[in-house]
Amino acid sequence: MEMTSLYPVASEIFLACAGMLLLLWGATAGEKSTGAITVATGIAFIIAIFMAGHYETAKAVVMGGHVGSNAYVLFIKVLLLLSALASLVLSQHFLKSSKLSRPEYPVLVLFATLGMMLMVSAESLLGLYMGLELQSLTLYVLAAFRRDNAKSSESGLKYFVLGALASGLLLYGISLIYGGSGTILFGMLHEVVTADKPPVELVLGFVFILAAMAFKISAVPFHMWTPDVYEGAPTPVTAFFAAAPKLAGIALLIKLLYGPFHGLLAQSTPIILVLSVASMTLGAFAAIAQSNIKRMMAYSSIGHVGFALVGLVAGGQEGVQATLLYLLIYLPMTLGAFGIILSLRRDGVYLEQISDLAGLSKTRPALAAIMTVFMFSMMGIPPLAGFFSKFYVFLAVVEARYVWLAVLGVCLSVVGAYYYLRIIKIMYFDKQMEGFQRVPGWGVASLLGVTVLFILTLAVKPDWALSITHDAAKALIG
Amino acid sequence: MLFFGMPIEVLALFFPLFGALITGFFGRKLGDRASQLITCGFMLALSVVAVMQFKNVALDGNNSSYVLATWIQSGDLRANWSVMWDTLTAIMVGVVAIVSTCVHIYSVGYMSHDKCQPRFMCYLSLFTFFMLMLVTGDNLIQMFFGWEGVGLASYLLINFWFEKESANNASIKAFLVNRVGDFGFALGIFGCFMLFGSVEFSAIFDQAKNFVGKDIHFLGMTLSALDTVCLLLFVGAMGKSAQLLLHTWLPDAMEGPTPVSALIHAATMVTAGVFMTARLSPLFEYAPVALMAITILGALTSIVAATIGLTQFDIKRVIAYSTMSQLGYMFFAAGVSAYSASIFHLMTHAFFKALLFLGAGSVIHALSGEQDMRKMGGIWKVIPTTYVLMWIGSLALAGIGIPGIYGFAGFYSKDAILEATYAAHSGVGEFAYWMGIAAAFMTAFYSWRLIMMTFHGTHQGDHHVLDHAHESPPVMLIPLFVLATGALAAGLVFFDYFTEKEAMERFWREALLVLESHPAMENMHHVPEWVKLAPLGAAISGIVLAVLFYGPWKGVPAAIARAFGPVYTLVYNKYFFDEIYNFIFVKGAKVLGRFLFQFGDNKVIDGLGPDGISALSKTAAAQVSKLQTGYIYHYAFAVVIGLVAFLIWMGRS
Amino acid sequence: MMPITIHHFLAVAAILFTIGVFGIFLNRKNIIVILMSIELILLSVNINFVAFGAQLGDLTGQVFTLFVLTVAAAEAAIGLAILVVYFRNRNTIAVDDINMMKG
Repeated sequence: MEMTSLYPVASEIFLACAGMLLLLWGATAGEKSTGAITVATGIAFIIAIFMAGHYETAKAVVMGGHVGSNAYVLFIKVLLLLSALASLVLSQHFLKSSKLSRPEYPVLVLFATLGMMLMVSAESLLGLYMGLELQSLTLYVLAAFRRDNAKSSESGLKYFVLGALASGLLLYGISLIYGGSGTILFGMLHEVVTADKPPVELVLGFVFILAAMAFKISAVPFHMWTPDVYEGAPTPVTAFFAAAPKLAGIALLIKLLYGPFHGLLAQSTPIILVLSVASMTLGAFAAIAQSNIKRMMAYSSIGHVGFALVGLVAGGQEGVQATLLYLLIYLPMTLGAFGIILSLRRDGVYLEQISDLAGLSKTRPALAAIMTVFMFSMMGIPPLAGFFSKFYVFLAVVEARYVWLAVLGVCLSVVGAYYYLRIIKIMYFDKQMEGFQRVPGWGVASLLGVTVLFILTLAVKPDWALSITHDAAKALIG
Repeated sequence: MLFFGMPIEVLALFFPLFGALITGFFGRKLGDRASQLITCGFMLALSVVAVMQFKNVALDGNNSSYVLATWIQSGDLRANWSVMWDTLTAIMVGVVAIVSTCVHIYSVGYMSHDKCQPRFMCYLSLFTFFMLMLVTGDNLIQMFFGWEGVGLASYLLINFWFEKESANNASIKAFLVNRVGDFGFALGIFGCFMLFGSVEFSAIFDQAKNFVGKDIHFLGMTLSALDTVCLLLFVGAMGKSAQLLLHTWLPDAMEGPTPVSALIHAATMVTAGVFMTARLSPLFEYAPVALMAITILGALTSIVAATIGLTQFDIKRVIAYSTMSQLGYMFFAAGVSAYSASIFHLMTHAFFKALLFLGAGSVIHALSGEQDMRKMGGIWKVIPTTYVLMWIGSLALAGIGIPGIYGFAGFYSKDAILEATYAAHSGVGEFAYWMGIAAAFMTAFYSWRLIMMTFHGTHQGDHHVLDHAHESPPVMLIPLFVLATGALAAGLVFFDYFTEKEAMERFWREALLVLESHPAMENMHHVPEWVKLAPLGAAISGIVLAVLFYGPWKGVPAAIARAFGPVYTLVYNKYFFDEIYNFIFVKGAKVLGRFLFQFGDNKVIDGLGPDGISALSKTAAAQVSKLQTGYIYHYAFAVVIGLVAFLIWMGRS
Repeated sequence: MMPITIHHFLAVAAILFTIGVFGIFLNRKNIIVILMSIELILLSVNINFVAFGAQLGDLTGQVFTLFVLTVAAAEAAIGLAILVVYFRNRNTIAVDDINMMKG
């Protein structure tokens, strides 16, 4: 076997090797090596981005047909690596001040990211399963990373039990599909599924997989774990949860719907529709009653998943492009908002209640202004980036003749506007409490700068975002 | 001549943005005076360019368009970020620039005691920029951008005194009500894109006539395509221009500083809806049902708002209801295809209404913040200049003039609207005409009620306030003189361009489209003489009655109020719109909540929000979050339920 | 005597799977029972794979089973570790007590 044949998964192989080496280093050198290992992990992410961009451009399937790459996979992988890098940057100060700075943290983030990359580059159900498990197992540990904290360990436990149930559903579905078709390779599955009448085991197995994927992206009614896990997990971990796994899950769902199970697309669209409507509705309403800002972000992310799925209901290249654009804009918005949450400290204590934001505009006007930008963008107010993402999914769904869904979506985004507006109101108009501390470190500050710049400038020059999502969607469907 | 690669008439549109950015970022360092100088300087420069462009484009006929950037290009969807100069743009830019400049300068005096003057100037300039983007776009997306941008600036400005709880609530209410309108507008844009495959005006207008008689199917109903799209777009206009049903935010918006009311809630932003119907006239012309709806709603708005105006005591709210009523005039004029008259009134109204608002601001300023007219009176000797200016504004608003010789601005534009409405010779036109006459009478009445209560009689308020009362400084009066000039001369000067057939053709060229079958503007010169004189008669009788009622016959208004007790209560409480909305949404939410969840807890959490919608949302939110019990087995159960439901769905086929 | 066919294997697996799923949401006592239920689900999946593999005459099913076994071991280890951490914080592993966060 020539080395060139492994090029399509070069970045994964590199990350796997790097991860194991860093784990060994951490295990031998102990806690004092944390800083160095974190930096090394960051560098590994950057190298992986370059390797992905350099080696994985061609469309190819390797390793016995179990993994592969194309422009779509490449797009998702780069986004995943960037969000992992961003959440690593976000976590630094929090971990240090909470005495959580241990070498396994960056390594766990690395392995979780690797798992997500494997998920999207999988070309067989086995590859998919391995990637998904690698991701899930590391995320369980990350959720419970604050070992001396009851909430954190409870969130880890809840995530584990429900995640294991979802994995069970996924596996059961895979076994049925294997029984029905005799293969686990996407390429061959595609042929069996598109045949006149696919076997019933195959159809049922696909439903199991859909349910498991809905759990991973926390679509209603499979979302119940999300608020509790988001609230209990250490905040930087929550930021990571809200960004990368969501992207990986939806990307994998798209790949399944337009790859091996394309023949079942028409039948499963109503399921996606139900998931989407339920998620948008619940996300919009439930967030209003929250007092914990992490919990509110959890419901907000459920709502955003619903909006992203609207693009999938529309379907076709335009619909998929709309969903990808939605995710591309959702990531920096969410990471930026968590950057703000991770900057809210008073006397060295990180604040988590929404009411704690009172008077932020007086002591830290810049922070308040940036948060306002994120909130308006999440509401979907032009000319911010969030408007574009909503606009595109609705446009796609209107073109697909689901006018009522666009109507409902716009209605629900009006409801959603209420709780984002409430945050702005509290920051600007509520009575000030004692002062906030400065933004912790240049890492968070620069991340905030980059994300807010992205949100503000996308409206002026959206071409590039449209063109890369267009290429990615085309690589998958065109 | 190019600057930074742009012609000066394009670059000038960015002047307010520059001003806003500089004062926004460096306002604190620059200080109050420098911030004011910078923003006002930029605005003056813009005004000069706007006036030159008005001559160049509207009078000399040099249309132009300039593409700043390709904004969106994806599949069929194409939208440029562009500046389109035609007559309609030139009028709007001229009005916005001049009024905005006046308000900027006026604010220097009016806000002189405020702590955050740079921020105020920054918001004003930002608003102006968004408004300019709204009126110069050549596609619906850019219009929507400006549309949302002015909404945002309006939110910030209403809430400028955020220590005031009422300002807080008003701003959120304005925001939420406008979201309802914007929602219709957004759907209208989607509809346009669906029908025409484009959001650019030129492409839409080219194809519009091919879609006459085409239907669309929605939720099992068959609807006329063009009517549906136009009605949806009109819902957007209703929100922004405070037409009946979506008007409740405008009176509350008066919580903002008075210059804001003058600029945003009288002269510019609220007229965006009227501008939209005129801009999209090549589309609306083919949508007869939508035009009919606009006429009826406009007429109802004009009369309802005028009646409420008769009963209010807050000086700013009277003028706010007057604004709403005048916007109704503009809409019913557009509804009978008299777009030219509609825009004419938009322009004259911008001058005299801004004058009235700023004059009222001058009164409030003089009386240390007093807004209740029952506590005013007898101050015309103290502030004579303001008094004269308010007379000019009111005469223009009432539409007083001597036919054939001279009239104040409103005389020409309001008569043009009413004559055209009558000349439309349609049922709704007739209805709108009589509503308009009645509203004209009431307009005159409440205007002089305001003048009599504010300036004449004996002072009813605290005499300390009266002792401190003083005429406004020159920096506040000079903008008023500029606006007063407009209120005196705008009608006479531009009358021909907006109404006389040949001058109109040279003036408007392709900016408006009126079908042959909608000859309201043509026929307006051939209406019976009494039709032309009726508005003037109504106005004069309104003035005379008001002067008598609030002068020599003091007891009469109260007696009338007593005699018509229930009616008066209804009107004084603004037809209970707010209460009805609260009832429907709040009570409806409670019933719905009980019905859907059977949880029994009907208390609305945290009391009621500023609007019914928020109460509805809060109730639902509390119920939804009860489902989140915290127990693993409930969560797992939800997963299983979902799975089983999906299995049944897929297994059924 | 009735020959044992693929359907019997599938029926057993389906029953085990159902017991496992029910074990997760009907059990209100002990988290260890939930962990065992999860193992039950995974085992039912393994039976499915092996049975299908044998019927199809294809090794993929057997290989997949090995992968599942390996991952299940890791999963159990992590699950127990989290459980221990939880127990240290709360001194209980009753399912009804895992209820600090809700709403």
